[in-house]
Amino acid sequence: MVDVAVVGAGQTKYGNHSLGLKGMWAEAALSAFESVDGDFSPSQIDEAFIGSIAFGGSQLGNTAALLTEHSAMDGVPVRRVENACASSGFAFRDAWMAIKSGQADVVVAGGIEKMNDLTPERKRLWLGVSGDTEWERLAGLTFPGTYALMARRHFHEYDSNHDDLVHISVKNHSHGAMNPLAHIQKQVSFEKAASGFMVADPLTLYDCCPTSDGASCVILAADHVVQQFTDTPVWIRGSGAASDRLALHDRPSITQLKATAEASKRAYQQSGINPRDIDLAEVHDCFTIAELMATEDLGFAQRGEGGMFARDGRGVLNQGDVTINSSGGLKSKGHPLGATGTGQIVEVFKQLRGQVANGRQVRDAETALTHNVGGSGATCAVHVLGRDRQ
Amino acid sequence: MTSGTDVWKGYLLAWDETYTLIQSPFISHGSRVFGADSDHTTLAIAALQHRLSYDHSVDCVSLAEGVNGSIFTMATGVAMADEETYDSCKWDLLIGDDATVVLVQRDTSIELPVLDTQIEVDLEFHTAIEKAWESELLAGHVSQGAYVSSAQYNEGGVARMALSGQQFGELLVWPPRQLSKDGDREDGRISLKPLGSVASWTKLSAAGAPSEFSLRAPLLGGLTTVFLDLDDGPKGVFLMVDDEENEVAIGETVELVVRRIYAQEGMIRYGLRGRII
Repeated sequence: MVDVAVVGAGQTKYGNHSLGLKGMWAEAALSAFESVDGDFSPSQIDEAFIGSIAFGGSQLGNTAALLTEHSAMDGVPVRRVENACASSGFAFRDAWMAIKSGQADVVVAGGIEKMNDLTPERKRLWLGVSGDTEWERLAGLTFPGTYALMARRHFHEYDSNHDDLVHISVKNHSHGAMNPLAHIQKQVSFEKAASGFMVADPLTLYDCCPTSDGASCVILAADHVVQQFTDTPVWIRGSGAASDRLALHDRPSITQLKATAEASKRAYQQSGINPRDIDLAEVHDCFTIAELMATEDLGFAQRGEGGMFARDGRGVLNQGDVTINSSGGLKSKGHPLGATGTGQIVEVFKQLRGQVANGRQVRDAETALTHNVGGSGATCAVHVLGRDRQ
Repeated sequence: MTSGTDVWKGYLLAWDETYTLIQSPFISHGSRVFGADSDHTTLAIAALQHRLSYDHSVDCVSLAEGVNGSIFTMATGVAMADEETYDSCKWDLLIGDDATVVLVQRDTSIELPVLDTQIEVDLEFHTAIEKAWESELLAGHVSQGAYVSSAQYNEGGVARMALSGQQFGELLVWPPRQLSKDGDREDGRISLKPLGSVASWTKLSAAGAPSEFSLRAPLLGGLTTVFLDLDDGPKGVFLMVDDEENEVAIGETVELVVRRIYAQEGMIRYGLRGRII
């Protein structure tokens, strides 16, 4: 079966973006096109998948066609992929599958979200739209509340506490401070992060990712056309995905995301790679507790030892077992919902090609993992990528 | 026991064989007033639930205006009287000008006792909460983002109000689902005990509250939600009641009671909320 590689990747800066939807997408697409080493024309694109949740409600139908129209991809078969915050992680997987199926050679996967052009009242649109509406939402829960329930239970069951979450926040801000594309480019002290405004007890402001605008775009190619575009492709070694019950109360445990565990197991099996081989991981830290649990679910730490993993700095850039969220993660780089999954791919594409500046490059990076979660864990896509094809 | 007084689901109660009197414990300027998430419907439901706990002969009630009949029936399983059934209905539900409801056997003369317990409420807070409810009830008040239509809300009404669970073979499931994981249809319905223990909890700040709660959450200082292991097995998430102080902790026992959740498009959405016992 055909192998698939990433040959180009780009994104906008995340944050309060001055550009609108069409402008942001065009910027990300152009950035991806220009990142291709060899000759590349958008006319070579066979298929496109674009992840987004709601575009701020401004264009609910046929959104993908609007974007391709404004990014020199007229006529390309395209569709919007919606899986909450994992929308573009799944768009990336769909693109990979399109090439694997033999139906396409060059495919674009991307994502976009415009979140900050709403009035303060309408901005509540984004709160909890991807959780269980009928039961959790009527219990007053939005995602800070949902993840707060997980955090408190984790503290109760295991040797973890809020200080562990503070370590994660400090680490990701430290990484993001070096990332010119990050939403929040500043260091945060332990003391400041430990005493933040309480959002959903026990989670404070410094445990929560920001509301960001942004777009990201990735170009995938089949093995028999890769050399047209680059001599240093990043190979997709494994793609795993899974889903779980939408509501927390329907799951056997709320201290583990089963979808993450299943998706990573499949991605590891497919790639022949195990967690100890991973040099860097872009992990879905929409809340710091999400990163703590992900380090367990992805196999970097034993179950219940995610707190200790964070406490011991084992995810710090070039200092621990594996660099986690060299980009700053969702916490610092930002979280434009639909753009996050392929934004993670942009980061590992650059890291694996040694193209990251400002002291943020992961040394000797050969193998990377991306982990993109939808909502509170109802969907998850995990990808293992490497410099080597096999 | 055929008569007595009690505190029942957060309300004051007196009863004998012929009546059930239920009142809010809160007083403002000498009048009984509702707590932050109670009204005549929630009082009426609690009154009948008490009677049903020892007297299973009530199968129909004639309701006073001001009590939501469909919610009352979903929560209790007891029909409300209509024109055809009125004469055969033996129980009337009467509401007072204040936060009082009486369930009484028709054509019975009763002398209601005076219930002494009074909790003085802050007038400013009480007025602000009532105004917030009035604003929520305006037709134009619609949630941002996630939206539960009245049809979707009503579809889950019995499960939401009466904790009606499903039996799939040996497995008890709540909230209900269309098919089991094996693709089977449910074998039957069973009402779960409205009791559970706290497995986790959070208090959401007012700023992070869903838009449905955005008018009241600042007045309440946020929303407290518990994740419960129900005594009968299933799990669920529930808001805590707003009209009582609750010191929530993992392992605490929680009783579920029917209260107002929020209002939208002119309709109050009721549901189960927790109170520490």
